[in-house]
Amino acid sequence: MNTIPIRHKWEPYVWLLPSILLMSIFVVFPIGIVFKLSMSEISKAGVVGAWNNFANFRAAFRDPAFGTVMQNTAVWVVSVVGLSTLLGFVTAMALNAEFRGRRVARSIVVFPWATSLVIQASVWNYIIKGEYGNLNNVLLNLGIIKSAVNWRATYQIEFAWECGVGIFVTIPFVAFTVLAGLQSIDNAYYEAATVDGAGFWRKLWNVTIPLVKPSLTVCTVLNIIYVFNSFPIIYTITKGAPANKTDTMVTLLYMRAFYDNQKGPATAMSVIGFAILCVCAGVYMMVTMRKEEQ
Amino acid sequence: MRLNTPEAVLRVNRRALIAALLAAALCLVAVSLPIWEFSVTVFARKSGNTFVGDEKYQAVKAEVEAEAARYSEETGAVTQLFENVTERTNSKGEKTSMVAFEVRQAMRRTGWDFVRSPLASGRILLALILCLLAAAVLLGAGMMGAMDTDWPELDLRKRGMRMGAAGLGLVALLLVPVFMMSCNLAFTRWIKLASDGMPRPGTEALLHTLDGFLYGGTAGDKVLELMGGVRHGPLWPLLATLPLLVGFGLCAVVCADGDPRHTLARALLIAFVVVLCVVILYPYYVMVITGFRSNAETTDMYFQHMFPTKWVWGNLKDIIDRGVLRYLLNSLLLSVGATAIALLCGIPAAYAMARMHFAGRKVFLGFVIMSQMFSPVVLLVGISRLMNTLHLNDSLLGLIFINAAFNQAFAIWLLRGTFVSISSEMEQAACIDGCSTVSAMLRVLLPIAAPGIVTTLIFVFINAWNEYTISTVLISTTSNKPITVGITQFSSFNMIEWQYLFAAALLATVPVVILFMCIEKHLAAGLTAGGVKG
Repeated sequence: MNTIPIRHKWEPYVWLLPSILLMSIFVVFPIGIVFKLSMSEISKAGVVGAWNNFANFRAAFRDPAFGTVMQNTAVWVVSVVGLSTLLGFVTAMALNAEFRGRRVARSIVVFPWATSLVIQASVWNYIIKGEYGNLNNVLLNLGIIKSAVNWRATYQIEFAWECGVGIFVTIPFVAFTVLAGLQSIDNAYYEAATVDGAGFWRKLWNVTIPLVKPSLTVCTVLNIIYVFNSFPIIYTITKGAPANKTDTMVTLLYMRAFYDNQKGPATAMSVIGFAILCVCAGVYMMVTMRKEEQ
Repeated sequence: MRLNTPEAVLRVNRRALIAALLAAALCLVAVSLPIWEFSVTVFARKSGNTFVGDEKYQAVKAEVEAEAARYSEETGAVTQLFENVTERTNSKGEKTSMVAFEVRQAMRRTGWDFVRSPLASGRILLALILCLLAAAVLLGAGMMGAMDTDWPELDLRKRGMRMGAAGLGLVALLLVPVFMMSCNLAFTRWIKLASDGMPRPGTEALLHTLDGFLYGGTAGDKVLELMGGVRHGPLWPLLATLPLLVGFGLCAVVCADGDPRHTLARALLIAFVVVLCVVILYPYYVMVITGFRSNAETTDMYFQHMFPTKWVWGNLKDIIDRGVLRYLLNSLLLSVGATAIALLCGIPAAYAMARMHFAGRKVFLGFVIMSQMFSPVVLLVGISRLMNTLHLNDSLLGLIFINAAFNQAFAIWLLRGTFVSISSEMEQAACIDGCSTVSAMLRVLLPIAAPGIVTTLIFVFINAWNEYTISTVLISTTSNKPITVGITQFSSFNMIEWQYLFAAALLATVPVVILFMCIEKHLAAGLTAGGVKG
C-alpha cells in the first residue's frame, strides 16, 4: 500500500484541519444559513424572524413564474447536457484521431473553457443582435443572406440561442474528459477487433463506448450540476425577459433575492434547487466511490 | 500500357474518372454560360389602386410607352413592354389592384457577355474557367503514357504536371465561393445600399462598370434607377459546378491515396475539425474586430466589412482611463490569493488523503466529492449573509476566501490523484532516516509532484479569475470590482459600448486562454482520473 507510517493517531486530522476549517466556514455555514432562512420569516429590511410554517415554500410555489421556470430549467439542463455530451463525444473522437495540426486543434477547442462565461455570453449577445449583430454582418458580407435577419424574433428563439451558447461553452469540458478516457484505452483492443473484422461502427459500439463509459458518466453528472447552476449566460443575454419567460431556476432565484427583495421565497427556491442537486450529487458519489473501490 | 494486375486496372479507371470529371466540370461551366441571361429593364413604373382599363391605367400606360419610345430613339435599341397585375382583397373586403409596367430591352446579356465585361465577377469567372482549362491540359499531359504508373515511379516532369493540375483545381474550387460572393455584392447589396442614398466608397466605379456591361454606357446617371430591373437567369448551373468541383478535389486525393472510403473518412474528419475550430474561434474574432472598431461602426446596420475600416487602438486607452487596469489588478489579487489559500489548505489535506490511513477517511472523501456539487449560486443568499456577519462583504478578502473554499474540493481531488500516482518509497525511506512527515512531503514529494501542482494551481487561478456571480453580489464599490464584474459597466440597459466591452474582455481573456493552453495536456486526465489511480 502506498502509505507512510504515522507517529500519532491525531496526526492526519491536523493535516486536514485547515481544509476542513475553510470549507466549514465558507461552504457548510452558508448552507445552514440558507436552510434556516428558508424556514423563517424575513422582513423587507432583512431582519430574520421566527419559524413561519413553510410559508416561504408556499410563496415560492405560488410564484407566477415558478411553473415556466421549472419547465425552462428542465429544457435547459436536458438540451445543453444532452447535446453537448453528444457533440463533445464526437469532438473527442475527432481530436483523438491522428492528423497534422492536432495539437493546434486541441488548443483551440480548449478556448471556450478558459473564457469567462460572462464574456462569452456578452460576445454572443452582440453576435445575435438583430440590427447590427455580427452574425448578420458576416452572413451579408459572405453573400449568404440578402437582408438582415432578426435572430431573436421571439423569446423562444432567444431561449434556444441561450441553450446554444450553453452547449458551445460546455463542449470543451465534455470533449476533454472523454478524450482522457479515449487515450487510456489500450490499442490492443482495437487491433483485436480489426483482426475479427469489425468495422468502425462495431468498434465504436463494442469497444470505445463501454470503455469510455466511466469518464462519460462522471462528466455527465458533473455537467448536470454545472449547467443547472449556470447563471451568466441567461443573465447576460436576456435577463429572463420578457416576464421571466426565459429564466431558469438560478436566475429567478437571483432576481427574487437581489432585485425584488423577496429573500424568503428565494431561499426556499435555493433549498429546492439544493435538493435537486443533492440527488445528482448522490448519483455522482456512488459512481465515483464505486470507481474508487475498484 | 501494362495493365496486368487488377490494381493497375483500378488505378487507371480511377484516373480516367478524374479526367472525365474535370472535363465535365469544364463543359458544364462553358455550356451554362449562355444559359444565364440578364435581361435589362430600362424603365419600371408601379401604379397602385389601378384597374386594367380605367383612366389611371390609360394615363400611366401612355407615360410608360412614351418613355420606352424615347429610350429606343436615344439608343436605337428594341424594347418590349410588360405589365403585371396584382389583385387582392384588403381588410375591409374591397378589391384593390396594382399594375406594374416594365419596359425591357429586347437585347439580352448572357454569361459570355458577362465574362467579357470589365466587372470583377466576370473576371473571376474567367479566371475560374482558365484555371479549369489549364488543369485539364496539365492533367492530360501528366497522364499521357503513364496512366498506371505509381507516384514514386513517375518522373519529375509528370509529377509536376499532376501537382500543378491538382493545385489549379484547388484554385478553381476556391474561386467558386469568391465568385458567388462578388456576384452578390455587385448585384444586390451594393445596389441596395447605394439606392438607399448611402453612397459607399467604390460604388461609383462599380456602377460605372455595371453601366458598361448592361447598358453599353448609355444609362449614365440613371443607372441606379434602372438597375432595379436587372434580372439574372437561373443560377443552378453555377451551383451545380460546386459539388462537381468538390468531387474533383476528392478524386484527386483518392488518386494519391488509394482507398476511397478511407479518404472519405479522412476528409470528413478534417472537415469536422475545421468547422469546429472556425465555430469556436468565431466569438474571439468578433471580440477582436469589435474591440477595435469605433462606436459608430459597432452599431452600424450597414457595416460592410469583415474587419474594421480603421483599427481604433485608442479604445485601449479609453478603457484604461475608465479603470480597467484597476479591475485587472483586483482580479489578479483575487486569483493569486484564492489560489494560494486553496493550495495551502489543499496540499496537506490531499497529502493526508493519499498517504495516511485513518478513521473517517472515507467520510472526508465523501464530503469532498459532495462539496463539488455545492454551487455558490444556489447559496448566494447564505453567502452574502455570512459575509455581512464577518464584515467581509464588499471586500476582495471575502471573495478570496469564498473562491478558495469553493475550489478546495477540486484542488484536493486533483492533488490527491497526483500524489497517489507517485510511489511513496522515497518518503518511506526518508521517514525511516528520521525525517519528519512534514519535511518528507516538502523535500521529497512536492518536487516530484510539481507538474500536478502547477496544473491544479493554474486551474484554481482560472476558476477564480473567471468567477462572476458571487463577485457581482458581494462587491458594490467600483474600486474593488474584479474584471468580470468591471466590464459590465460598459453595458447598461439603454446603451452598451460594445467596443469598450470587448476590448476589456480581450484583456481579461488572453492571459487566461494562454494559461489554459499550457495545462490542456494534463487537465482532462486530472479531472476524471483523479480518484481512479487509488
